[in-house]
Parts: sequence; C-alpha cells; structure tokens
Amino acid sequence: MILLNCPNCGPRNVQEFRFGGEHNPRPAAPLAVDNAEWTDYLFLKANKLGVQKEWWYHRAGCRLWFLAERHTQSNQVLKTYCWTARPNREGETCVE
Amino acid sequence: MLNNALYRLEPQAGETIDRAQTFTFTFEGRAVIAHPGDTIASALAAAGVHVISRSFKYHRPRGVMCMAGHCPNCLVQVGDEPNVRACQTPAEPDMVVKPQNVWPSLKKDAMAFTGLFSRFMPVGFYYKTFIRPQAMWPLFERILRRIAGLGKVNPATPPDRYDKQYLHTDVAVVGGGPAGLSAALAAAEQGATVSLFDENPQPGGHWRYALPAPDDGPLPDLAAQAEAHPGITVYPETTVLSCYEDNWLSARRGNRLFKIRAGAVIFATGAYDRPLIFDNDELPGVRFGGAAQRLLRLYGVQPGKRAIVVTANDGGWRIAAGLQAAGVSVVAVVDERPESEAGAVSHVLQADARVFWRHTIRAARGAGAVEGADIAPLDAQVRPQFIAGDLIVINIGLTPANGLLYQAQTKISYNEDRAEFLPETLPAGVFAAGRVAGSHAGATELAEGRLAGRQAAAFLGLAPAPPSAEITALAGQKAAGPKRSSARVDVPGSQKRFVCFCEDVTDKDLETAIAEGFDSIELLKRYSTISMGPCQGKMCAANTIHLCARHTGQSVAQTGTTTARPPLAPVSLGVLAGQNMEPVKRTALDAWHRANGAGMMVAGLWMRPEHYGNPPAEVQAVRERVGLIDVSTLGKLQLTGPGAPDFLDRIYVNKWQKLGVGRVRYGVMCNDEGVVMNDGVTARLSETTWYTTTTSSGAGAIFEWMQWWLQSGWGGEVHVTNISEVNAAFNLAGPRARAVLQKLTDADLLNEAFPYMHVRHLTLAGVACMVMRIGFTGELSYEIHCPTGAAHYVWERLLDAGRDFGIAPFGVEAQRILRLEKAHIIVGQDTDALSDPISADMAWAVKLDKADFLGQRPLRQVAQDGPAQRLVGFTMARPGLVPDEGLQIVRPTAAGPEIIGWVTSSRHSPTLNQTIGLCWLPAPLAGQPGATFTIRMNGKLEEARVHHGPFYDPQGDRLRI
Repeated sequence: MILLNCPNCGPRNVQEFRFGGEHNPRPAAPLAVDNAEWTDYLFLKANKLGVQKEWWYHRAGCRLWFLAERHTQSNQVLKTYCWTARPNREGETCVE
Repeated sequence: MLNNALYRLEPQAGETIDRAQTFTFTFEGRAVIAHPGDTIASALAAAGVHVISRSFKYHRPRGVMCMAGHCPNCLVQVGDEPNVRACQTPAEPDMVVKPQNVWPSLKKDAMAFTGLFSRFMPVGFYYKTFIRPQAMWPLFERILRRIAGLGKVNPATPPDRYDKQYLHTDVAVVGGGPAGLSAALAAAEQGATVSLFDENPQPGGHWRYALPAPDDGPLPDLAAQAEAHPGITVYPETTVLSCYEDNWLSARRGNRLFKIRAGAVIFATGAYDRPLIFDNDELPGVRFGGAAQRLLRLYGVQPGKRAIVVTANDGGWRIAAGLQAAGVSVVAVVDERPESEAGAVSHVLQADARVFWRHTIRAARGAGAVEGADIAPLDAQVRPQFIAGDLIVINIGLTPANGLLYQAQTKISYNEDRAEFLPETLPAGVFAAGRVAGSHAGATELAEGRLAGRQAAAFLGLAPAPPSAEITALAGQKAAGPKRSSARVDVPGSQKRFVCFCEDVTDKDLETAIAEGFDSIELLKRYSTISMGPCQGKMCAANTIHLCARHTGQSVAQTGTTTARPPLAPVSLGVLAGQNMEPVKRTALDAWHRANGAGMMVAGLWMRPEHYGNPPAEVQAVRERVGLIDVSTLGKLQLTGPGAPDFLDRIYVNKWQKLGVGRVRYGVMCNDEGVVMNDGVTARLSETTWYTTTTSSGAGAIFEWMQWWLQSGWGGEVHVTNISEVNAAFNLAGPRARAVLQKLTDADLLNEAFPYMHVRHLTLAGVACMVMRIGFTGELSYEIHCPTGAAHYVWERLLDAGRDFGIAPFGVEAQRILRLEKAHIIVGQDTDALSDPISADMAWAVKLDKADFLGQRPLRQVAQDGPAQRLVGFTMARPGLVPDEGLQIVRPTAAGPEIIGWVTSSRHSPTLNQTIGLCWLPAPLAGQPGATFTIRMNGKLEEARVHHGPFYDPQGDRLRI
C-alpha cells in the first residue's frame, strides 16, 4: 500500500483516499466542441504507462480533492498538489 | 503410550523444552509424551514416530524433513484445523493430532496404490484425463474430491477470533538471527526506533542450533542486548508475509495480523536447506542438516540412531561431529568435494566412520522409512554401494530466503561462483544482510548486519552514510569465503525423485512438461503446479529453475524466476479478514422500529423498517387516514453562499435561480453522459441557504461528486456541508396529516399559508424543525427534518397526536407501493446506467435552454432525436398476476421471441386492486396508451397494457388539499 501525501494532512495510507481517475479537464464550452473531442473527454482514457496526472480525494480525512503525479508502472508518487490556491494548515498554498 | 525416551537426549545447552513438566497429546489415537516447549514434531521424533503424514498425490509416507516450517512434509490435522505444520506448532496437552491424506490409517493407506499407477498419472493428469465423456463429470468430481485436497475442513467449526494491529517504526528488521540482531542494534544506536520480527519463539536464528564454525569466534548474546535496548521491540513468533510499496509489511502472530509501515526495512531472513534430487529423496528419515541440528540442540532429540551425512561444505562435517557428540553413530560422511577443498574437519569423526570424498548419494533405500543409502562416486559409472543407516542428513547447500526481497522489487541474480540467487540491486530504503545476502561466516554476518543498520539509519537521516570503502571491503570478504552451496541439484537415478514435495511433482514430470512445450518457467509452474503448494516454492523453485535451464539449453540467468507474490507463508483467511467490522448505520429510531414489530431490511449500509407486519394495510392507512415513515436515511446537504444557485444550475438539469425563499423543487442530477445519477428535493431556506436531499444510497457519492466539481473549478462562493446524520427525517402522509401536525404547533398550516412544494421552519412539540410539503406518496404530506437527538421525541409526539386520527407507521414496502401508484420513479430501480431523464419521462425537469450544465450536450441530442426507449407505466390484462421486476418484455416474431424491453417495478396495488408497474419499452409502443405488449413469465407470454401518468389521482389533487 502506497503512502500518499495529502497536501493538507501530510502522508497517509492510500486506504484513506478515493482514486478519482485521470486528470481529464472538461471542455470549457461543451456545446462548441466537435463530437470527437467530446467523446475523447467522456470515454477515452489515456491509460498511460508513465507519469500520470490524476485525481485523489481524501475521503477519510480533510475531504480535499487534489492532484497527484504517479508513475503507473512503479506506483511511485512524484508529487501532490491542489487544483486551486488554498492555504493548508500551515498557511502555505498547495498549488503545483 | 509411546515412549518418549527412545530418542530423547540428556539436557542440551540452549534447549527450549522444560523437562520438569510432561503432558500427553494424541497422534492417530495413541498418547504421545511431550514437554512444554516441544513442537508436535519434536515430541513425535522423541517417541520415534518418523512417519507423520502421507503425500498429496501418491500418498507416500512423509516425515519431518526441514524442522523449520518450510517443507510440506509434516502437515497434520489438529482438531478441526487442517494443514498445521507439526514442526512449528507447539505441542499442547490433550491436543488431538491426526495425519493427513490417509485412509484408513497412516500405515495402511488405501490410496498409496496410486504410486503403482503413477505412470498413468503424468504431469497435467487432470487436464488430460477427466475430460470425456462429459456425462461422467459428476462421477469424476466425486473421485477427485476424495483424492485431492489437503486435510479436512469441518464446516461446523465455530469461528475463531482474529484481530489486526497497526505498527509504525523507523526501521523494520525481518529476521532475528545474528545479522538481524546486529542490524537492529546498529540502527537503534543511531537513534532509530526498531521493530524486529522473528518467526521463532526466541530470536537468535541459526546460532540457536547450529554448531559454530571455527572462524566464528565467540558468539555475543545479541538477543539479550536487543531485548534490553529501549529503542528495539522484538516480535517473536511473528512471520512477515508480504512487503508492498513504501515499505508496507504485513505479518502474522497467532490470530493477529500486523500491518507495518516502516521508514526503512532490513531483510535478514537467512537461508534454508536446499534439497538434492535423488531416488526416494523424501523417504522418512531423510532430513536436512538444519533439521538434524534443531532436533539435537533445541529439543534434545536424536534425529536418528545411525547417520549418513551427505554434504558439500564444512558445515556437514560440523553436523556429523555434533551428531556423534549426541550419541548418534555416524556411519558415513559423503562429501562431493575433493579432500583438498575441505577445511580441517575430518579428524573430528569416530574411527569407524567411513568417509567418501567426491561421492554423493544416489538413492535412499527402505520400506516406509530409511534403512540405508546408495553411495556412488561423482563422475564414474560405478555400481553404487549400499550403506545401512536410519538417518540421511542432506546438507549440500542453502537457498537464500529471498521471497520478501523479491516482493520489495530487489534485483536478484544467479551468482555462478556461489551457486546461489543473491541480491544485486536493492531499492531505496531496503537493505539485506546475513545469509540471505550471501554472508556465510559469523563475523561477516555480524559486520553486514551492523552495516545495514547504519545504512538504514543514514537513509532516514539519523546518521552519516557508512563510507563506501567499508561496503566494498565487506563484499570482498563475502566473495572470498568458502563456498556453502553446491551447483549440483540432482544425481542420476531411475526411481521416484521428487522436485516438489507439496504436489508430488517429479523431475520426470518437469521433463515431460517441458517436452510438451511448457518451457518457460512461468508456464512450467502453472502446468505442473510446481511451487504452488503449501511450501510456496521454498523447496522446489531453485531446483526447478536449474532443471528447466538444463532441458531448454539455457543458462540459469536466462531461465529467470517465477514472480514472488504475497503471502510468503500460508495464512488462514481469518487472519486476513480480522474482526467482523462491517459497518451498519442505524437511524435514531432503530430501537423503536424493532420494539414495534418492524421487519428490518438492509438498504446500503442502513437498516430500515421494511414493514410493520402488513404493507397493504399500511398503504390503506396512508390513503385513508394518516401514516408516518422514518426517512432519516435520506442524504441531506446544506448549501450556503450566494454562489449556490449557480452551482445547482450546473449540476442539476432543473433551473434554480428563480426558486423563491420558502419554496421547494424536485430536481434531477445527471452526469455529462446525460445519465440520471440521483434525484431529490431542494428547498431555498433563505437568500443564501439551500437544503438538498438525495437518495439514501447516493448520499456519500453525491457529496463527493459535488465536492469534486466545487474543488475543480465550479466553487465560486458556495459551501456544501453533509448533514445527513445531523438531521433525522420523517414523512407524515395522508389526508389527515395536517390535522395531526396542527396538534403540535400553533403555526398556520392551512393550504394558503403553507402550500404544496413549500418549506417552513416550524416548532413542533417545542423542537425546531424544518418541514417540507412534498408528495412522494401522492397524499398531503409533510417531510419533517429535526435534529437527530430529538428524533425519538418528535416521532412519539407525532404518533400521540395522530392516535385519534388512526395514525399508523409504514415501512419501505408500503412506500414503494404508494409511490408506484403515483408512477414516481426510484433512481437505480427504474433507471440504470444508460437512462436519461427525457427517456425516463421527466423531460419537464430538463431545461435545455439554460447555461452549461452536466448532461446538457447529450440531452440536447436526445431531445432532438427523440428517445429510443421510454419508461412508462403498465397494467396486466390478467388479474392477480404480478410479474417479477427484471422480467423481459418480448415480441413474438417468425424467428422467435425478440426482447424489446424489461420490467423495472411491479406491485399489486391495494388501492386500485390491480397490478401496476413501470417498464422500458420502444418509444413508438410506449407512446400509445392502452397498447398491448407481452411479458415473458415462466415461459409464457402474459399480456400487459401501456399506461401513461399516475395510476392514482392523476391530477394530483390530493397533494394540494
């Protein structure tokens, strides 16, 4: 079981978290994109071998959704950070 | 009673048994005498019982071989527990021990004849034999179940108690031998907290039983030092089962599972004896050097009376000397080395001991147990000579216990010089020391342990890193030492030669499997089942690689190894499961429901009253008088902030900006595929405060879903709080609901003051409540949300107030009927992972013209194309017939019945006295009220009719009274 560094709470067992899937931004204007782009957003995952940017949720903790960069082969987590600039307990912002 | 004095020695220094006390247990019905500290196997050995069990496939007699918990040859049944390792399990008074795989008895086993027919039971026997004819499969199954399997499980056995413990430590040391202990001490001296795990009753490793080598020097009492060090916690009798990422280990002690997070891990797991493949290589009386020494030193038991020692290193000679000192007659020492390569050891033997240089064993001989051995020179085609004896000690080399190192992703390679698989590159934070890393002499083991301890401390930033010169010097010291393992894995022969003792796989089986094309090591494993038995490859994996390499013409390195997976040692499922910790959620009224005759049902994590005895009567109470249901399980979310309507607009298909304060609206939530995720009502309590309910099962997921959108860009000026458990909720429903409620409050409840789809803060019986006038049941109804702490009080006041009006509590089943009479859908029951709200008859809720919302793009498409399938109501033509939910709707065609839809909900309506339901139908058919279609029930097609709108009170007048 890997350790995951919650930007708010620090390193915790991965059991405390929910995996949220690949970082896959929603098109800003869904009605303006073509079908291929929309299908890509909805259904096509990159399923990357290598460092993947992905969502995690600290379900059994502070309830923060945050981003992690994890190597999908070694399972090594290179870094974790927030989507928005918000201060953590020490008052530091946790964006990338 | 079996005499335990036959093989028991005078007290030995360092023995673990307490001779002051004796007790008995039974083995196959006979009493066996034992001392506290004895294992089942040591007590049996003391009594001269050398055959303990029979083998899995051929039912050959088997006895204690490794005495270290590695081989499968001593698996016994203890009481109700099968597959107990006799060599590791302490003997206890009155224990009932039985051999396994025997019928009718150990001595006369009926299945042993399978050995005679073994030529008809080749590798892959099961895949090849029990195939045709298919009609025989039930018979085959009966036969196979009789033959196969290890031990017997008694289904009536009461469950044992199990638990789990979490440990956190700077350094975890696995293995309490000399290397592990010195590593623990070195790390602790640098200030690290250290946890040391050892599977034996006391730490000390092979120093507890092995006779010291001359260059070992005096042995310090490291175990006592470690016990005394405040920074070290020793966990004896604890087997580490697995190693996962970020140094996460699991270990077992008795019925407890440890989960361990360590900053650094030092594997000092030692090594175990390597078997040699020869004829009858598992005949009882063939024991490894480690087993002979353990029996002698730990339990004061002679492993035999006349010993033939087969070796390839100086350790074998020390064992011979030890046996001799314990009164065992050493008949012969058979060393495959030339005399020139051996240390100065031969002089220690008795005068009549025969010494064979450059010789090895060819066969064990004897009926049921060893009576002697065939000895032959290594390289000459000479007829072997027979030497009589009752003990054959095999001490030809060691297999490093590297299973956990493999799991830790260590790169391990075959070292030709030392004929062993040794670690090459260790991952960060993982260290290896001692015999698992190739150290052989005591001084090297200690030095390597200390080095690993300091390296672990340095990795954690507690100490400076040891100089690299020291590391290089130690590597040189290890390489220069005498070779402890032979590269030879087998000798020529003609009879049964087992590579795998667990599943009775012979070298011939492996050769056949490779010839049949299973020539990669992973395929060979799966096909032959080698390394898949209780020993998990400890006995066979290394030898299999060598044999596979030889038969495929590859090097050992090219052949590779099979993947090492957890658990390292067998573990009972109870240990992994731990306590029964399945969470159950109960509402504040749970006790009331049970005390009042509720039949409870499981709804997600919740327990809910399904009924109070008579659902149709509960329906009638709501329709004609008034009913009360506990809906505390609803998800309840509070949204605050001026951004709330914008956020609601994005995640619901409905519009929210113009919902006035004090109003309530039903909402549907979709994802970006346009699929219905959840539904519920939302009330605007003030300009900036909103209150949303979700389905009971969806509460947690919807909160997380909302949080995700809030925290990834849609979070302007709105905050969502999950108050599902903060508030309890009840629905007071029925034509007399207003009259009941009025008895608890002075507030004006008349239709004009508190109309349908409005919300009010009311004080009910002195408790501040939030009350929504909504109508899932189709009657005048009030959904009352009050603090959970006051729930029981308010509930009872409502029942008191309703007594004169004929109030009755109603359960989930009555509610399901009531809502179906109104054709109200239940998300997840009537919708699935492909249902959009337009097709599900809720197009009125979907506001395609508003700004961007989840599901807008696909729902526009559905609106444009029109739904393909629609959710509609139906009634049955034949009275009294209620189709099961999930049944298929089929259309008869010339080519046979065609599935065109399915039933999602169906009930007998007590109000209308007819069958009603909801179903999915092709849109053209669904669009014609009264059109008929057929449902397949028990093979027959039953006629049903399309129905549009609610079955009961279609105009909704009763909601608005």
